[in-house]
Amino acid sequence: MNRSDEPILEVRDLHIEFAGEDGPLPVLHGLSYTLPKGRVLAVVGESGSGKTVHALSILRLLPPNARISQGEVRYKGKNLATLGREELRKIRGNKISMIFQDPAASLNPVLTIGQQLTETLLAHRKMSKSAARAKAVKLLEKVGIAGAEKRLNEYPFQFSGGMCQRVMIAMALALEPDVLVADEPTTALDVTVQAQILNLIKQLQKASGMSAVFITHNLAVVAGIADDVLVLYAGMCMEYAPAAELFEHPLHPYTQGLLNSLAPVHEKVDILPVITGHPPLPGKLPPGCPFAPRCPFAKDKCRQVCPPLFEENGRRTRCWLREGK
Amino acid sequence: MTVPVRIEHLFKTYTRRRLLGKNLEKPVLKDVSLTLEDNHVLGLVGESGCGKSTLCKVLLGIEKPTSGLVEVNGQNVPTLSKSEFKKLRRVLQVVYQDPYSSLDPRMNVRQLLSEPLDIHRLKKDKQERKAFLKELLTAVGLSESQLERYPHEFSGGQRQRICIARALALNPQILVADEPVSALDVSVQAQILNLLKEIKKSRRLSMLFVTHDFAVARFLCDDIAVMYRGRIVERAPAEELFTNPQHPYTEALLSAVPSVHAPRRAVFAGQETPEEHPERESWACPFAARCRYAQPACQTQPFALQEVAPRHACACGVLPFKNHKSKSAV
Ligand SMILES: Nc1ncnc2c1ncn2[C@@H]1O[C@H](COP(=O)(O)OP(=O)(O)OP(=O)(O)O)[C@@H](O)[C@H]1O
Ligand SMILES: Nc1ncnc2c1ncn2[C@@H]1O[C@H](COP(=O)(O)OP(=O)(O)O)[C@@H](O)[C@H]1O
Ligand code: SF4
Ligand code: SF4
Ligand SMILES: [Mg+2]
Ligand SMILES: [Mg+2]
Repeated sequence: MNRSDEPILEVRDLHIEFAGEDGPLPVLHGLSYTLPKGRVLAVVGESGSGKTVHALSILRLLPPNARISQGEVRYKGKNLATLGREELRKIRGNKISMIFQDPAASLNPVLTIGQQLTETLLAHRKMSKSAARAKAVKLLEKVGIAGAEKRLNEYPFQFSGGMCQRVMIAMALALEPDVLVADEPTTALDVTVQAQILNLIKQLQKASGMSAVFITHNLAVVAGIADDVLVLYAGMCMEYAPAAELFEHPLHPYTQGLLNSLAPVHEKVDILPVITGHPPLPGKLPPGCPFAPRCPFAKDKCRQVCPPLFEENGRRTRCWLREGK
Repeated sequence: MTVPVRIEHLFKTYTRRRLLGKNLEKPVLKDVSLTLEDNHVLGLVGESGCGKSTLCKVLLGIEKPTSGLVEVNGQNVPTLSKSEFKKLRRVLQVVYQDPYSSLDPRMNVRQLLSEPLDIHRLKKDKQERKAFLKELLTAVGLSESQLERYPHEFSGGQRQRICIARALALNPQILVADEPVSALDVSVQAQILNLLKEIKKSRRLSMLFVTHDFAVARFLCDDIAVMYRGRIVERAPAEELFTNPQHPYTEALLSAVPSVHAPRRAVFAGQETPEEHPERESWACPFAARCRYAQPACQTQPFALQEVAPRHACACGVLPFKNHKSKSAV
């Protein structure tokens, strides 16, 4: 087996539901993917499609009213759902790290940046305090924060949004994890800072062979960072493909519609092609293909039977149009 | 000639009173000057927290300016009496970012759209009102059959259409739109952008359009102002700004815009390790800490917008920017 084909993380037929007033409300309907070593998988989808819920489920961080109703998440073959507390603690942050959308909210406002970084290191590694501090300085330098030695003594409010997010990345990378799960890490930032952060993640990932699951609703960001892309719609994978192929030649009508509807930045156009209608609300999935009410190619069959994922040349597409291709 | 909106030397400082010690002062808008011309869309672009919404609030009379001129149709907004202000609101309407919180959940669409008409005692005749509401709904792509429904029965995009319809009810001349598509699903953004462009034409609207997305700005705006930490660093006709950006911040923003059309190239434009120079925070130029062209002169050069071409102004102290591109940073 080729080194880069070794799966580090495997999500198999993952179903997640929330406890609703009138019974369980399913929000993820059988998500599957494998993340090979050293690759970046982007999970794209619109608001409510299940991106965050799926990410939280990986490290068993789902809110109490949510549960995995079926399926599993495996890290190097181990089922994370059935792992004991102690074993899970060893994996969290250590082998699998997570970055959340809002950096300011994830940092502790009353501790200095240095305290937070060294605490993370000391909790998981046997090292002296001074060694941890030295490592913290190195980490800050690695994420491009000038004058790291001095800035360790500062508090989060003294850092800009972009710098806080870089500190979060430094923390996430402190223990050299195998997998980084990043949920919209750049959504709150301006595009210049966003580009810096994306470059940084990409560089560090290349240098260390880390794998990453990168969650975003921004297709353009995906184009810059991902090796593979998974398009989520209403809690289902609609299309899975290598990034270059997906952008070059999207197969699913939803992906095609999304790409067409984006305003281009390099030219001025008069009108934007639109996908009519809107995504279904949770618990209100139409029968058959979830995209059928908005799909220009929908046939009777689409409205009755939900298509499976059809495989072709390493790509997967949930659309009857790809049957037998 | 009076223009729809003229803002000159606008300053806004938020003050937080404290029981002990000095009040906390937070300057948010610093010497902002802008003009919104008739039937134009002026885009205000800048990162989160730079002061875009504050500018909208001052323009709408929700916040008082600390100093400066804020004129709508030649009337100075902060000095208007209550009744003058009410009259002005017929001309000046607003659409906010979040279509969820901007509609009263207890009112149905008919009530939501009728409220502004009732306040201003317009279209009181029953038949006339009915026809008007129908026309209004059609204009924003909704139908008369949805009049009796409540906001929670609509999707985000449809709610934003209701907000737009409500803003159009008084047939305003100026629309302030504060990130009207940012909270919407990607697949629904294009629908609303097309709608805004269409009503600008059909209703001869002038629009202040706030966004942090350059692609969206290029699609909709005639003129663009780029804001950085409460200051306008560059303003120009939209196409001029995209093809001939002058300020280093604008240049950096544009080169960093990721695009599905030119993926790798765009995102990795600024390949070097990110660098910030916090020691330059005290410099005269507010962008110095992030500027790759900074020079000793930028420490002291007073900050000022200067014309670099007709209708094109830039606030880089060491102009012309094109000429120092080759020079190395300090
Ligand atoms: N605490 C909760 N209680 C009930 N339902 C929830 C809760 N959190 C999320 N959901 C529902 O689960 C679904 C998936 O939500 P999730 O947060 O994963 O979406 P997302 O794809 O991350 O969206 P966004 O782009 O807005 O972050 C949505 O329908 C949402 O309404
Ligand atoms: N009522 C307020 N009191 C104090 N500070 C405020 C208030 N409203 C906004 N600010 C601050 O002013 C700055 C600009 O905010 P805002 O105009 O909302 O930015 P933008 O719309 O560009 O994201 C931010 O630092 C914000 O925290
Ligand atoms: S299965 Fe049918 S409705 Fe669904 S995306 Fe394909 S063509 Fe469209
Ligand atoms: S004045 Fe100097 S620091 Fe400021 S933008 Fe121009 S070159 Fe950069
Ligand atoms: Mg989310
Ligand atoms: Mg705002």
